Amino acid sequence: MLSRDENELLTRTGTGTPAGEYFRRYWLPALLASEVPAPDSPPVRLRMLGEDLIAFRDTEGHVGLIDEFCPHRRASLFWGRNEECGLRCVYHGWKFDVNGACVDMPNEPPEYGFDNKVRTRAYPTQEYGGIIWTYMGPPEHVPELPKLEWARVPEDCRYISKRHQETNYLQAIEGGIDSSHSNFLHASVDAFRVTDDYVEKVKNSANLRAKYHLLDKSPRFTVKKTDYGLVIAVRRNADDDNYYWRLTQFLLPSHTMIPYQKGLSIHGHCWVPRDDETCWVWTVSWNPEAPLSEDEWKAIREETFVHAAVNPVTFRARRNKDNNYLIDRNQQRTTSMTGIHGFASQDQAVQESMGPIVDRTRERLGTSDTAIIAMRRLLLQEIRALEEKQEPFAAHHGDVYWVRSCSMVLKRDVPFDQGARELIAAEV
Amino acid sequence: MELEANGSGVSDAVNPAHIVAVRDFSPDTLKTIVEHLEVSTAFEHLVYREAELDAIWSITGFFLTETSDIVRQDDVMRLHEGAHRAHDLVGEGRPREAAILLSMFL
Repeated sequence: MLSRDENELLTRTGTGTPAGEYFRRYWLPALLASEVPAPDSPPVRLRMLGEDLIAFRDTEGHVGLIDEFCPHRRASLFWGRNEECGLRCVYHGWKFDVNGACVDMPNEPPEYGFDNKVRTRAYPTQEYGGIIWTYMGPPEHVPELPKLEWARVPEDCRYISKRHQETNYLQAIEGGIDSSHSNFLHASVDAFRVTDDYVEKVKNSANLRAKYHLLDKSPRFTVKKTDYGLVIAVRRNADDDNYYWRLTQFLLPSHTMIPYQKGLSIHGHCWVPRDDETCWVWTVSWNPEAPLSEDEWKAIREETFVHAAVNPVTFRARRNKDNNYLIDRNQQRTTSMTGIHGFASQDQAVQESMGPIVDRTRERLGTSDTAIIAMRRLLLQEIRALEEKQEPFAAHHGDVYWVRSCSMVLKRDVPFDQGARELIAAEV
Repeated sequence: MELEANGSGVSDAVNPAHIVAVRDFSPDTLKTIVEHLEVSTAFEHLVYREAELDAIWSITGFFLTETSDIVRQDDVMRLHEGAHRAHDLVGEGRPREAAILLSMFL
């Protein structure tokens, strides 16, 4: 549980809030590069950390992220003309460059020089790994870009999706690091009931997760604080001599990496507050060794795993709470625990059902929630440290993000961090 | 009462890197948590203690919702509130004070 004050501290991310200031110390994913595909392509709206912004790619290819509303009469620059290295408000013609400078003000006499004095709010951007990143904090604390493996692999080795979720960012992260839910929320009915057919299917399976989750349904949790965040290690009995370990990475301020099996693609998320009651869910699948396989593309197309189909303009999922995530009660009776298709929609359904900001004073946690407790404590420590003027270490050390998640079978006397040393180092 | 070893490779009775398996709120369970609180120093230790106290708070809360045992109710309510205060002390990085508080319920 958290106190009401702690819950407020963690979940409020608008301008001037402690958590909002903390998020504003990092480069954050803002847009898919494909949303502003070409010079002078149409501007797009973006809400982030409670701020309404407009993104546009200027004539020279630079991406600007500026206040949505023209400082003159507050008209939306979404209607603006993207032309000749600037975005021009269609109301009175004021024009702004990617740095927020007003470069033309045709309705004012030029001798007044008013245009030289006007600026609008603008945030720096960088294009990196198929994403436009932005830094929304003070100019004197510009951080380093996180050296994330997925951002550095060739384009055909990676797939990125973006989704609008109607919850605060924190309960979305909690879902991402909560290993114990996958045995239930994402399970088939056969797996949950441990039917003979299912046991036969997985007992000699190459899918280690399915095999060992079946053998041990009471995992043990360990966390380890690192320079970049947390390693969350979950241990299950494999046989008399070995343990099966799954290591999830939590990277500040809100990245995660799901345990993966060597040879398959890796999956990760980043949850960015859109405002206090909604967030952007960034989902990445990447293979550091080869282009994504046809099977991996099929899983993406068919939305079976971590990616979900969205409206290409609003990024709202096709399965959403207005249509009950297209739940199929017959499927739920016979095939899957939820009757909802795809892990992403299953996660979204339960997380949104908790309300936009879950009341954490009313929850009942147990020791299987260790990872969630650790993540909250770490974020609280970091946010409070920044309030005491201690800048976040990870924000200024992009190299610390050079890690992976992993899963592995280890001898029982080998500590997980020792056994994982090579597996969790990124390779690209 | 048992301990859930979680990969540290150490099997001492009181190892703060071990999570106490909270299956009840018996004196034995509380005593083991107190012993672990007394030797907890690192971030990870405090996370485990917080998880254990969360579990005590949760199961005492469930008990209070279900029970018709008026005699026991007052004692469990005090423990429920005490676990809450101890939990918050751990969150503030004060495990020794949490241990003293929790030991009042032994």
